[in-house]
Amino acid sequence: MLRLDLLNLIYKNGGHIGGCLSALDIIDTLYDGQSFNFDQDHFVLSAGHLAAALYVVLAKIGKIDKKLLDTYSCFGSPLQGHVSHRVPGVEYSSGSLGQGLSFATGLALGDSSHYSVCLTSDGEHQEGQIWEAATFANKYKLKNLINIISANGLQIDGKIEKIMPLGSLSEKYIQFGWNTITIDGHNQDEIKKAIELAKKSNQPTCIFAKTIMGKGISYMENNFQYHDVKSLSQDLYEQAVAELK
Amino acid sequence: MNKPSPNSNKSMRQAFGETLLTLARTNHNIYVVSMDLASSLSIDKFSAEFPDRFIECGITESHAASFAAGLAKTGKTVFLCSFACFSPAINWAQIRQSICENELNVKIVGSHAGLLSGRLGASHQMLEDIALMRTLPKMEVFAPLDANEIETMLPLITASSSPSYIRLVRPDTPTFSQPNFQIGKANILQTGSKITIIGYGPVLFEAFKIENAEIINCSSIKPLDEKTIIESVKKTKNLLIIEDHQKNCGLGEAIASLILNQKIDCQFRHIAIDNQFGQSGDPADLYKFYGLDLCTI
Repeated sequence: MLRLDLLNLIYKNGGHIGGCLSALDIIDTLYDGQSFNFDQDHFVLSAGHLAAALYVVLAKIGKIDKKLLDTYSCFGSPLQGHVSHRVPGVEYSSGSLGQGLSFATGLALGDSSHYSVCLTSDGEHQEGQIWEAATFANKYKLKNLINIISANGLQIDGKIEKIMPLGSLSEKYIQFGWNTITIDGHNQDEIKKAIELAKKSNQPTCIFAKTIMGKGISYMENNFQYHDVKSLSQDLYEQAVAELK
Repeated sequence: MNKPSPNSNKSMRQAFGETLLTLARTNHNIYVVSMDLASSLSIDKFSAEFPDRFIECGITESHAASFAAGLAKTGKTVFLCSFACFSPAINWAQIRQSICENELNVKIVGSHAGLLSGRLGASHQMLEDIALMRTLPKMEVFAPLDANEIETMLPLITASSSPSYIRLVRPDTPTFSQPNFQIGKANILQTGSKITIIGYGPVLFEAFKIENAEIINCSSIKPLDEKTIIESVKKTKNLLIIEDHQKNCGLGEAIASLILNQKIDCQFRHIAIDNQFGQSGDPADLYKFYGLDLCTI
């Protein structure tokens, strides 16, 4: 149902559907009311272009009116194209990659009695600032900090491996002194278990969640050209609806 | 007022460190984020007295700015301290998004601004900081005249919830401010009728060389005190703006825009660094070379 909401939103107004479909199961799990209480805990969507995925989840849990989804990125709508803190339930406006993890370290240090959860993308790890934040989190032993990487292996112009290979992010985080857990980012049981393990850690935790670009719509899966769509033909829309139902 | 004596030189950076320390003793929300320049910014005493509120990020200006924003989101008043050539120069994008777009209470303190950084040379003589900060929505911009003004300025800036930029310089400089700083207010240091000279920071000391000049300390660059400026220029019909900064996008252009919008008829001159970098040398030699010593007026 969430995937259909997302498809409808993007079909109407365009947006970053590929990465949203990658991260949707993760965001949905974070907001299931069991793992975190985001009235107190903190969520930072560092990959701000995944705004639509967060908005459909916020609509699902009643933080925002579902009717608002149709206004995504339209003039006058609070639902900005990249995620905005003016939307109820959103703490951090972003869009310029690599900054969110640093912001989350600030929340984690300033509010040590609650969790600070950040969602980044794997491509975003090409930004050097991510590694400054990773170093910092280790120094200050921010055990209440969790960075979930939605790792679909793709970025705007193609494969990460081709554009700027990152090697093993898990191994890098271990080297940076983090607790690291690797999971299937579309398996909600695995996501929940990883969160519970992260909560018990005495170090900051990186959950490396393997995801699929465009997950759930066959012609979008692992196709970097669906990073961002401006419009979708009627035929492709109907095919996607049929696959998601 | 009488022309101040050069004997009154004091360190802005020391005044900043001491004033912040005094404020932090009663305001437990004050946090300092350092980027490996604690002794240079005179915040080492703060570090010793309040180790839990002193966060050392090392040489990571980009991270430090976004971290400071996150910390501010938890209700703290955060001072982000470095040299201006690093912060806001390296981390402008983080200041733009993490701090300004998110409307967070971070005070960016950039020291070693202007040619007064002397022998450190072009890399450290930050001449573009006012331009970078003026353009950002929500950002307030302050450049204290001297050490004494920092003491009156800092409590007001701390009490404000807006993000702001505070420009400091490296050497000890003359003290000639008046203890009446207000956000959005320019102060007339000396009344005169022949020319209005407006500036900020220690370079304004040069204005006392000019006879019968009305000298205005514009330490609140944004918000700008349009009323005081307009009244003075209407009176003298002769305006000179001096700044230890690039001509492009500095105070001079802000005031030029004001003068044009208000259709004020006046002579307009702007003395600043003209589209070039600085170089190593003693401040007096540099001011002379770049025309900031006002000897040509």
